[in-house]
Amino acid sequence: MPKRALITGVAGQDGTYLTDLLVEKGYQVFGVLGPAPGAFVDRIAGWGEAFVGVQADMTDTQSLRDVVAEAQPDEVYNFAGISSVGQSWDQAELVADVNGVGVVRLLEAIRDLAPKACFCQASSAEVFGRPSQVPQNEDTPIRPVSPYGDSKAYGHFVTTTYREAHGMRASNAILYNHESPLRPVSFVTAKIADGVARIKLGLAFELQLGNLDARRDWGYAGDYVRAMWLIQQADEPGDFVISTGVAHSIRHVCAFAFAHVGLDYQDYVRVNRDFFRPAEAEVLVGDSAKARDTLGWEPSVGFDELVGMMVDAYLKRLA
Amino acid sequence: MTKRALITGITGQDGSYLAELLLDKGYEVFGLVRRASTPSTLRIEHILDRITLVVGEMTDQTSLIEAMEKSQADEVYNLAAQSFVGDSWTVPISTGDVDGLGVTRLLEAIRRVKPEARFYQAATSEMYGKVHEVPQSETTPFHPRSPYGVGKVYGYFITLNYRESYGLHASNGILFNHESPRRGLEFVTRKISNQVARIKLGDALELRLGNLDSKRDWGFAGDYVEMMWRMLQQDTPDDYVAATGETHTVREFCEIAFAHVGLDYNDHVVIDSKFVRPAEVELLLGDPSKAKRELGWEPTVSFQGLVEMMVDADMERLSR
Repeated sequence: MPKRALITGVAGQDGTYLTDLLVEKGYQVFGVLGPAPGAFVDRIAGWGEAFVGVQADMTDTQSLRDVVAEAQPDEVYNFAGISSVGQSWDQAELVADVNGVGVVRLLEAIRDLAPKACFCQASSAEVFGRPSQVPQNEDTPIRPVSPYGDSKAYGHFVTTTYREAHGMRASNAILYNHESPLRPVSFVTAKIADGVARIKLGLAFELQLGNLDARRDWGYAGDYVRAMWLIQQADEPGDFVISTGVAHSIRHVCAFAFAHVGLDYQDYVRVNRDFFRPAEAEVLVGDSAKARDTLGWEPSVGFDELVGMMVDAYLKRLA
Repeated sequence: MTKRALITGITGQDGSYLAELLLDKGYEVFGLVRRASTPSTLRIEHILDRITLVVGEMTDQTSLIEAMEKSQADEVYNLAAQSFVGDSWTVPISTGDVDGLGVTRLLEAIRRVKPEARFYQAATSEMYGKVHEVPQSETTPFHPRSPYGVGKVYGYFITLNYRESYGLHASNGILFNHESPRRGLEFVTRKISNQVARIKLGDALELRLGNLDSKRDWGFAGDYVEMMWRMLQQDTPDDYVAATGETHTVREFCEIAFAHVGLDYNDHVVIDSKFVRPAEVELLLGDPSKAKRELGWEPTVSFQGLVEMMVDADMERLSR
């Protein structure tokens, strides 16, 4: 019998990479498509019968119960969510409903209908917002600085609560920024890759960005979904920091990305204060020693390789 | 000019004490109440003619905006919540919607209608849950262990973030357990005082409880609403722990309560596993030194005084 997985938010970057991985491993994958699966639809044919698209919404309890009942999953991955920190200031209520209370709805559905399933919550480094220590590990106090971070802290604590109180196999993957050619341009790395490609191709002359000194620990999404699969195979559920352990500034991303096509970022990047956030998370760098030691996980793609991969992808897309 | 206050959860224990306090101080008091076919105004009946009730719900943004527009409150106290930890396992989604998202909705209403208003959020020691240190202070990391605790952690952080990012005068009071004769009967303290009175009066024989060794830091609600008010009189918003700094067991509560009416708790208390929670919080003990230092706040009612006050009130009520 093939293993069965249910992935919410399957049409996003992580859902796509994870489906690739699980299909390759012989899983039957049920993916919650959500309202706008977009380009993802083109990929579905390639997975054949190993992938079944289903519909549900994180704000609709019954729809989540229905997909859990249909999938009868061995493993559930919760990737659904509003993933934009910036947007969370304008839609704080919705973000908390989807990213926070949505996890309660999903866990309740699993507890009732597939209680033996392993659950992995895509938690976020943003829960550390203003960290009391650098780098952060699984014991670092949670202290978000945005409505997005607050909502992810909600989902994170609900997951630990259901694990500790109900004995569910529920884990948090505390994911630091993870990028890929599938990132939409609403994210800064993709915006840079897209901007560099446009400038290189003569389609644009400048790139407007917010705070160039914001620093993040950026990894490759393909590596991070592999970490989440490993979490589900572990003997014991728990919380795991998934990160590279190295922080780079947005300025640094620009420097690498422009250099990749033989340009100097200083000639093209302009700072626009409109893109500054009301509050910026401080130095988020993850210590993933626990994942490396207990899961045998490590990132395979380095920072410069990741930036180059993204720029190349946008060049190809635009050319 | 008369100050104006809006209290959500005004029909609850804390809301009723706070309303009395603010009326004494000359405030014009508005209270948010849910529409219901049976009014839940038992605790505020004696002041109903001196306060203005506004219909609204923490789950309805529109009603909160209207409550702010009507009250033009200078101070907003968010005491509305599904406040019973045990029930949060049965209604985890609505607990999150009211106790968590409700705070966001109210903060948005304040930000849009009257951003200079001062805001008090009723945070709770349940946020510490599986405690990382004893005693707990404003810097202790959170580790909630119930849907109630998780919702309250969210409410705490969103309050903090709106203060930091929008400059709202928004503060969290991290209140440890606080009791009174107005406590709901579903809470263990009131369950004990009520049943002690019934046993004393011959209406009952036994008192069924869960874990007698559960420890809590129990204060008097009347003292705690005083701290809420003091917090909002500060120039700078901040977060404060309100606690007695003492911990007592459910067993001690029983001992004092039964002894107060001349009975021995050993003769009447029965352990019932039905009342043991799925995950019991560990040693919750608050360090109120910041509130003492910065607000000059201290509890005035001792543990023994609190237990006896509650038993006396139930004796009086039931003997009427």
